[in-house]
Amino acid sequence: MAAETYILFSVAATTYALRSHDVAHVEMIEQVTAVPNAAAFVDGVVFSRGVVVPALNLRARFGFERAPHGVSSRLIVVRHSGRTVGLVVDAAREFASIDAASIHPPAAALTGLSGRYLEGVANLGDRLVLVLNLEAILEFSDPVLEQHA
Amino acid sequence: MKRQTMAKQKINGRASRVAPALDAGIVLSQAQQVTATAGVISRITEEVADGADQQGRTLDRAANGLNEMVTSLKDTAGQADSVAASTDEMVSSINEMAASIEQVTVNTSSLSELITRSTTAIQQGAAGIQHVTASSQEMATAAQQVSASISTMAGFIKSVSRDTESLTASVNETGAAVEELAGSVKEVSSSADDLAASAEQTSSSINEIAASIEEVGAMTERLVTAVEQNAASNEQMARSVQAVAQIGARITDVARDASVSSVQMERSIQSVANLARSAEEVSRRVSKDAEEGGATVQRSIQGISRMRESMVQGAAVMREMGKRTTDITSIVDTINLIAERTNLLSLNASIEAARAGDAGRGFAVVAEEIRNLADRSAKATADIAAIIRALQEVSQEAVTASNDGLRVADESGALAEAGAGGLRKILDGIAETVSLTGQIAVATAEQRTAGQSVSTAIAATAEQAKVIAASTAEQATGAAQIAQATGQMRKVAQEVTKAIGEQGRASRDIMKAASGTSRLAVQLRKATAEQAKSASEIAQANESMRRGAVATTKVLAQQSAAADEVVRAAESLTRLIQTVNKSVTEQAMASSDLAQTSGAMRQQGEQAAKALKEQSRAMKEMAASSSNTARQIKKITSTNRQLTQSAEAVQQEIAELRKVTERNAGGVRQTRSSTAELVRTADALTAVVNGLVKKPH
Repeated sequence: MAAETYILFSVAATTYALRSHDVAHVEMIEQVTAVPNAAAFVDGVVFSRGVVVPALNLRARFGFERAPHGVSSRLIVVRHSGRTVGLVVDAAREFASIDAASIHPPAAALTGLSGRYLEGVANLGDRLVLVLNLEAILEFSDPVLEQHA
Repeated sequence: MKRQTMAKQKINGRASRVAPALDAGIVLSQAQQVTATAGVISRITEEVADGADQQGRTLDRAANGLNEMVTSLKDTAGQADSVAASTDEMVSSINEMAASIEQVTVNTSSLSELITRSTTAIQQGAAGIQHVTASSQEMATAAQQVSASISTMAGFIKSVSRDTESLTASVNETGAAVEELAGSVKEVSSSADDLAASAEQTSSSINEIAASIEEVGAMTERLVTAVEQNAASNEQMARSVQAVAQIGARITDVARDASVSSVQMERSIQSVANLARSAEEVSRRVSKDAEEGGATVQRSIQGISRMRESMVQGAAVMREMGKRTTDITSIVDTINLIAERTNLLSLNASIEAARAGDAGRGFAVVAEEIRNLADRSAKATADIAAIIRALQEVSQEAVTASNDGLRVADESGALAEAGAGGLRKILDGIAETVSLTGQIAVATAEQRTAGQSVSTAIAATAEQAKVIAASTAEQATGAAQIAQATGQMRKVAQEVTKAIGEQGRASRDIMKAASGTSRLAVQLRKATAEQAKSASEIAQANESMRRGAVATTKVLAQQSAAADEVVRAAESLTRLIQTVNKSVTEQAMASSDLAQTSGAMRQQGEQAAKALKEQSRAMKEMAASSSNTARQIKKITSTNRQLTQSAEAVQQEIAELRKVTERNAGGVRQTRSSTAELVRTADALTAVVNGLVKKPH
């Protein structure tokens, strides 16, 4: 198993990668229903394929400003540790296979809070792709998320 | 004396022979008395004749003086005429100047007409003078005829003288044959009667002479008064002439100033004319340029309006295009959405294929290809969207620019219209300017002509002032000559007065003598009546008759000489008339000069003259002085006329006097002849008596 398939997506002009294995599917953001007492980076809930999924705004989660949803905005529905969560990203269009060897651990300067979310950094052609640590992203206590987990 | 002694002897002889001695003695004594009386009468007659001669001489002197005075008068009249002529000329000049001065406002043609009329009048005057010349030549001819007639008359007198001489001879022959006493007595008686009649006639003639002389004296006094008046008028005239001269000098100064001003004016007018001409040229050029500019502006306006239309159309097209791009954008959006969805689907398919493992590998490839197509189409739509966006921006910009262009075009149109209006106004203004410039050019040309006329007229005024000065000088000379002539006249009048006084004295002497003659004639008549009976004086009478005939011949010779004198006088008269003729010719010449002057005046009159107030005032003063002069001249002329009248009256009186004197002379002659007859008769009588006395012995 030298190579694994990833879903590439962008948040605030940076390309990130998620293991396609963790992704249930990708869909367009139709309507997000806001829920009371949700965490600051949670937009609300989305009804997806018959289940209610919490929509987690990665811009907000990564400390960027929120952007309005457009034609290219996507909701990436992921499953991890028995939890199904929708990640709101700016765009998600690519499906790529990345060698594990080309994935490098994050630089020491990036360790800390922000580095926590990264599994590593991969070179894809001439691009730099940040491989996300899905577990770290989903590691938070949120009543809304817990409820839907 | 011898005759008387002989008569005495005769009477004594006769008394001793025929009649008683007493009778002869009475006759003799009577004859002696008659002879004595006749002698006295003869002496008195001689005296009378002397007095008459003296009177004649005095008369001649008076006549000469009068002639002299008449010549002086003519002189004076001539001078006065020339002064009047020069005054007229001066007045004409003044009128001319006044007219010239008024000419700035008054039409010159009327003046020209006036001057033409005056020229005509002058020409008529010249014609009149020619006429006068002709008349005076006729007069000269008449005088020559008179002279010829007098010469003829002198010839007649000479032949009469010759006849008288032959008569004397006859008398001598017949003297001895006369014997009839009775006839002698009758003759004596008739002679005595004739004598008395002659004496009375002489006396009455002398009374007439005295009356005439008194009248002449009165006339002469009037003459003297007139002469004095003349002198006074002359002095006044001299003063007027001086005033005129001063004013003339002033006018000359003013005219000089005016001349300088007019030259400056002419220069100004010339520069104005040049300026007007260049202004006209510039105006025409500007007008042409402005017309071209107007055409250009019209073309610009048309272009702007076409441009505006195009812009409106362009703007509409742009808006339409913008609308279309919006449609395209929505279509592109839809395509983009489809592409996105395709991408999404292929992504999800890839996810599923990966989950299916090897079984899904082919599917994964298809999904990948689909995703690639979707990406390409998304990329293409993105490109299209970008292009459309750019296009929209550009079209929007184009619409904005087109709107701006429209506004600018509208503004340009308005500005061009305003410019065209302004150009039209400029064209109108230039047309007006051109017309005004033309008018100025015309007016300036007229002004230049008028200015030149003014210069000329001023020069003419100066010339006139010179003429006036010359006239004044002439007048002064004339006045001086008149004064001289008047002085001469005065002297002559005094001489005439003296001569007339002498004449009066002579006439008184004559009267005295004549009255003596009368008295003696009366005595003689008485004596002759007494002598009627005696015949002793008859012989003496014959002798006396002969002597009388001789005396008569002598008198006739004297008459002949007098006739010659008259001929000479007539010749001198002719000469005088020729002088008059010459004067009239000179006058005619002066008249033609005047006509010439008038012609010059007309020329000047046609030219305009600047009116100077001072000049005008001076003119008035001069006119007043001139009219004063003219008045004085009139006075002089009228006094002259009076003088002439008086002189003519005096001449007439003197002529009458002459006639009377001649008549007197005739009377005296008759008296003489009667006396001679008496003496002759007495002599004959004495001879007869002597014969009677001697015969008895």
